[in-house]
Amino acid sequence: MIKNYLKIAWRNLVGNKAYSAINILGLAAGMAVALLIALWVKNEYSYDKFLPDSDRLYQVRRNFNSNGETLTFSTTSLKLAYTLRSNIPEIEYVAESDGGSSHGLMVGNKKFYMEGIETGSDFLKMFRYPMLHGSAGESLRDPYSIVLTQATAIALFGTDNVINRVVKIDNAYNLKVTGVIKDVPSNSVMQFIKYIIPFSFAEQTQPWIKGAHDSFGFNAFSIYVKLKPGIAYTQVAPKIKNIEKGENNVNAKNSDVIMQLMQDWHLYSEYKNGIASGGFIEYIRIFSIIGILVLLIACVNFINLTTARSEKRAREVGIRKAIGSQRKHLIFQFLTESTLTTFISFLCAILFVQIALAPFNALTGTVIRIPFSSITFWLVMMACVFFTALIAGSRPAFYLSSFNPVKVLKGTIQVGRSASLSRKILVVMQFSCSIALIISTVVIYRQIQYAKNRPTGYNINRLLTTNSNDDLGKNYLALKNDLLQTGVVESMATASSPATDVGMHNDLDQWPGKQAGETVEMGVIDITADYFKTLGMRMSGGRDYNYVASDTLNVIFNEAAIKRLRLKDPINQIITHSGSRIRIIGVVKDALMISPFAKADPTMFVYHSNPSSNLIYRLAKGVNPHDAIEKIGQIFAKYNPAYPFTYRFVDDDYNRKFSQEVLIGKLSGIFAGLAIFISCLGLFGLAAYIAEQRTKEIGVRKVLGATVSQLWFLLSKDFVLLVIISCVIASPLALYFLQNWLQKYDYRVSIGPGVFLVSAISAVLITLLTISFQAIKAAVANPVKSLRSE
Amino acid sequence: MLSLQHISKYYQVSGLKNFVLNDLSLEIDEGEFVSIMGPSGSGKSSLLNIIGMLDEPSEGYHYFAGQAVHQLKEKQRSALYKQYVGFVFQAYHLIDELTVYENIETPLIYQDFKGSERKAMVADILDRFNIVGKKDLFPAQLSGGQQQLVGIARALIAKPKLLLADEPTGNLNSKQGEEIMELFRKLNKEDGVTIIQVTHSEKNAEYGSRIINLLDGKIESSKQL
Repeated sequence: MIKNYLKIAWRNLVGNKAYSAINILGLAAGMAVALLIALWVKNEYSYDKFLPDSDRLYQVRRNFNSNGETLTFSTTSLKLAYTLRSNIPEIEYVAESDGGSSHGLMVGNKKFYMEGIETGSDFLKMFRYPMLHGSAGESLRDPYSIVLTQATAIALFGTDNVINRVVKIDNAYNLKVTGVIKDVPSNSVMQFIKYIIPFSFAEQTQPWIKGAHDSFGFNAFSIYVKLKPGIAYTQVAPKIKNIEKGENNVNAKNSDVIMQLMQDWHLYSEYKNGIASGGFIEYIRIFSIIGILVLLIACVNFINLTTARSEKRAREVGIRKAIGSQRKHLIFQFLTESTLTTFISFLCAILFVQIALAPFNALTGTVIRIPFSSITFWLVMMACVFFTALIAGSRPAFYLSSFNPVKVLKGTIQVGRSASLSRKILVVMQFSCSIALIISTVVIYRQIQYAKNRPTGYNINRLLTTNSNDDLGKNYLALKNDLLQTGVVESMATASSPATDVGMHNDLDQWPGKQAGETVEMGVIDITADYFKTLGMRMSGGRDYNYVASDTLNVIFNEAAIKRLRLKDPINQIITHSGSRIRIIGVVKDALMISPFAKADPTMFVYHSNPSSNLIYRLAKGVNPHDAIEKIGQIFAKYNPAYPFTYRFVDDDYNRKFSQEVLIGKLSGIFAGLAIFISCLGLFGLAAYIAEQRTKEIGVRKVLGATVSQLWFLLSKDFVLLVIISCVIASPLALYFLQNWLQKYDYRVSIGPGVFLVSAISAVLITLLTISFQAIKAAVANPVKSLRSE
Repeated sequence: MLSLQHISKYYQVSGLKNFVLNDLSLEIDEGEFVSIMGPSGSGKSSLLNIIGMLDEPSEGYHYFAGQAVHQLKEKQRSALYKQYVGFVFQAYHLIDELTVYENIETPLIYQDFKGSERKAMVADILDRFNIVGKKDLFPAQLSGGQQQLVGIARALIAKPKLLLADEPTGNLNSKQGEEIMELFRKLNKEDGVTIIQVTHSEKNAEYGSRIINLLDGKIESSKQL
């Protein structure tokens, strides 16, 4: 029986090539979108789940009560690490770390500057990355040891079997390789790790860390925790919550200690009121919905085209019923047909996805592949094919099989017409989704553009950053002098944070008008001479530093800080910071260092004579950046022979702040485009069908004197009306979701009627373009021919 | 074999009943060859469809092979139909996308015959109807007479007790029509198939054993030959 069905299904497909192509192409595009999104979502969900015991791994965070508002920080103190280790028996291991930092690695004449982590000796017992050489328990015991990833080992030594070989770090210390791990997979938040250095090394070589041991207030570290097997977080949570409260210190008294499961780090990175409420998961959800919607849009095509063309199949249904077929046989037959079509579409979809994966991976920065060798994948895919076939095929199957054989064989009923209302409703659904996606894309791009056009408060063009190190720090003044001498560098300064970040926040001990118990999250940037000049920041009141020794008793705030501190007349007011009283001598205009979408961070700029960790310099106007960098590189090499010269353009860093929005914009643009394409494909098929059905009417009208444009209008107006209805439905829906989305930005574009108008007009134009081909073809046909065929 | 009692079929048009069949009663015995005649609109085809259980009467009692059809559910009716009835149409109504062989085979599929049995039965009937050479052709490649032959072969493949034919020769020329009628007579005489045909042609009607004339949904006359 099924052979017979497949046969007739296949002959129907081959016999109506245009119709089959529209059906298969549309369905394949829909399935490809759904499959691509599914693979992507699966990849995002797979983050860190591959690690054994990943359900017992946590990072410690602090919920800090800032004047009633809960802020969640992932920086913690070393004292907290020790306290957790010794006081909480449910915890198996604790590893303190620097949270990741970059160092220079040197073997012979091979020099690299790359990111790794300095962390406690139990780290590899917690994060059980497969070890190629060495043992997880031993390799971080000795302070002067280093564990490399396979790629790093090969880059440095040309082989991964490098136990006991020596790596020179920061041109100062020799570390012995005690282990080699496999590269951390891309679907891991720890992907940045290229090597691991024992935390004891950091403690021995950086004296300030020793000083950070005794207070919960010194929050500059990351702590990872592994619970004992069988222990639930809920058992530990009440024990750690108030663990810092005993210490008499503003930070400690206001901090609740919490932990976040490793599997959630990637998707639930945003905290609201102390609870991991969202993050990338929101986009994952939205795009999952979009994937399903696009697939449904494609299914609607199948439903509409099949029911519209049912006249052609009605006779067959009648015959089959007359020779003994029951309704269930026919339903089964039509479902077999839709399964065949869906299966062919699925094969096309696999091909489409395979082609699209390379650009998609490049766009999203992921490494997604189709798991061809996974049996589970194929089983799931087959289930999806059947499910899709059921969705797409059910309505046609039930509709077609319901025909009364006597009537269809006599030709007394006009089949296909009766289903036209439901068909219209389905078209409106399709276009509502597509138009909503178009509106969303437009708004996302307008929001990005709006934020990009926002004045940043400093000049990011021609500005470069290089991370400092011991040699560069020692030779800073000579380096600066040489660079300025060349003429390619216009100005240079150092700061404790790069130009696109505020790395440290501190409380102020005292300021005029401070309320009892009030805390402030004041950004602190240590700067050296010419900082404001180099960044292009303008003073709005008071004066710049003279950059002399006495300036260490002065401070400059930005306007946001002054507003935060509620200072009416800030100049010459005295504040207390880290125990020292300093005078406000100037106010600088706000610069958007952290987020182009948020308000400027309240920040204080503190003068130091010693250079800080970020060298910031601006190229002179009109120089060729390529030549300039070569010249600058030579000078850096002179003062810093142990490291390769690395640099970043600040405008690149700044634009990276838009990367998530740009990604979302691009994805929604692509999916909106595909959704409207699939919808139009369906419309194209429907228009062809309608034109065919009305051939006689068109012929008669033409004979009676109708012009081509009148006929075009006649055939188009129904569809255009449907699209306009869709616009009316889509607009408030899109508005609702977009306003929710924009809530997360302080600085957001307002959604005016223009967006909806533009989207509606373009939807109508696309529709007209799609159906006009059929409409005009029908309208210019010779009426004699069409009337004779009746 | 079958009995219709006080059968009516009507359509409601703006409150008025428009009768197609009006209180019609009819008995047909096994082995009969009945020709139904009458002008257009007299209810011939409706009567045939009701006998063949493709359509339901609005009122009346319908017994077929000892069962009260008017009390059966659709599924049971369909089972009864499959077991006893073969249908032949004026417009042949072959499935365009299937070959001759597959068209004939289709009813067997619906009656759950095994593949090997189907093969044997189809081969047998192709042979009987002398159309073995045409088995892989599609309907569009056949003449009208040949198509009707396939239609009859398809109707007979499951060995029905009752063959219903709605103007089987209506689309054929007279020579082809004669051949079909001869075939019907042979089926009736030799194989004992009960045949009810609707026809416009006096000549064709006389192949039967009884002629029933319909007028305005009622039996006007019935003549045993």
